[in-house]
Amino acid sequence: MQRRDFFKTLGTAAVVGATIPVMSFAAETKKKGPNAFTYEQALDVITGGKKPVKSDKVHLKVPEIAENGAVVPVTVEVDSPMTDSDYVKAIHIFATKNNNVRCIDANLTPANGKAMLSTRVKLGGTQDVAALIELSNGEFLIAAQSVKVTIGGCG
Amino acid sequence: MEERKSLIKIKPKSYKDGEIVKVNFMVMHPMETGMRKDKKTKELVPANYVNSIKFVYNGKTITNMTVWESVSANPVFTTYMKIEGQGDLTVTYTDSTGEVHEQSIKIKPKG
Amino acid sequence: MNKIIKIALSVAVLSSLSFCDDQFSMSDKDRAMYAEMLDNNPADMTVASGEELLSYMGGPAGLAKYLGVSEEKLPEYIAGFPRYIKKFDMVVGLDQVLQAMMHDGGHKPLELKSGNMFEMLTYVKSLANDVPINIDVNANQQMKDAYALGEKTFNTKRGGRGLSCLSCHSPDVIGSVLRTQPLPDLGVNNSGGTWPAYRMTKSSVSTLQKRFQGCMKNALLAVIPLGSKEMVGLEVFVTDKAKGKPIAIPGLKR
Repeated sequence: MQRRDFFKTLGTAAVVGATIPVMSFAAETKKKGPNAFTYEQALDVITGGKKPVKSDKVHLKVPEIAENGAVVPVTVEVDSPMTDSDYVKAIHIFATKNNNVRCIDANLTPANGKAMLSTRVKLGGTQDVAALIELSNGEFLIAAQSVKVTIGGCG
Repeated sequence: MEERKSLIKIKPKSYKDGEIVKVNFMVMHPMETGMRKDKKTKELVPANYVNSIKFVYNGKTITNMTVWESVSANPVFTTYMKIEGQGDLTVTYTDSTGEVHEQSIKIKPKG
Repeated sequence: MNKIIKIALSVAVLSSLSFCDDQFSMSDKDRAMYAEMLDNNPADMTVASGEELLSYMGGPAGLAKYLGVSEEKLPEYIAGFPRYIKKFDMVVGLDQVLQAMMHDGGHKPLELKSGNMFEMLTYVKSLANDVPINIDVNANQQMKDAYALGEKTFNTKRGGRGLSCLSCHSPDVIGSVLRTQPLPDLGVNNSGGTWPAYRMTKSSVSTLQKRFQGCMKNALLAVIPLGSKEMVGLEVFVTDKAKGKPIAIPGLKR
């Protein structure tokens, strides 16, 4: 039997195996940690209820598939002149389904020269990563992207 | 107080006045969420994470960050800054147990 | 009972292997994003610590003197490890050289598995960055023997599941995806030139030999001690696969 055929016969088992690597944490994150904070709460606290606008000025870079939920690279860049009259005041990064969705709140100034923030976050499972931007004119921009978290590899 | 390793890196290594450069700050810190159980003792490991970082360049705060436990262990933070003359860049960070640390480098633009 | 578990495990392994072709392997774009993280490797701090530790023994100049090479030739010399050293009459890794150097300098040698030793080893190997690996497995009988022992260790099936290193790293299976990770070709992947590395899953720096141990542990093989003949042989064998590839320390691994 060819290897390929052999695997085909294992089709059913394969599907079962396939669902295992992708963690679905939604059902498991019932236990609330000390800093539990939802995405809606977090947005509200920062924007004061103002609705953020989706914008292509916000470049959120995350992997589609994270090879390890403990270290997921996130980079946010915003098109902005970063002058005293027009700059990005803050970049917030959220892991929308973590116990505490807040990852980092960075307050920027025109002295940054460029509006960019990059770090690595832990994701407790497949979820959206979101970036909320506060502009100096009081407007809020937002971008979000889904990251599939896998338990991969061998140890 | 435990001695923690930290590092500030400027990219590119050589830069001119007025240039906008990348600033990387990294620190060896466990970033414990308080929700992880110790494998041996089965007890919860107490929360301990970097919760604030401030970048000060020649006395002026460029960026300050509030950081939460969802940031990875041994975290790395990258942002930009505009070079405006010689001086010091000082990064001060605190963690949720109250530790405060400071790390500085000299900013020396060429030309 | 045990048997059932074993069978269940092999089915699990097979099924994830079979699956992996497309959907769950990462895209090149994702991989590029992970590769970019090398720029900000937490292990850069490890290198800095190792530099400080070696400075207590005279820094790179002290090491070069101990090894009997000029300081200019030191990087090239480091890029040829593990090597046979007459003084010890055996094939050794850089960490063992550091141990001997500590001993001869009147210090208590650090254990091979100690964090400080990993720091020093990472720093010392980084001195050879960009230099192509130049290990010579035919340099002498001792190196030939070490290579042969390494090859044997690599190929020998052991443990409860009868696995060998070759089970996952033979040309037949290289490239198959096991639980989202392509099984790497250790030569193409430059394992010899990219360890010690920061392991993101462990949030710490590990060495090539320590990684071998992790692999053995997970595959249910009895773990071979660091610095043993078999372990050094394994390092010789795997490093030789990446001969000619530039050293790039510290590495950054999943």
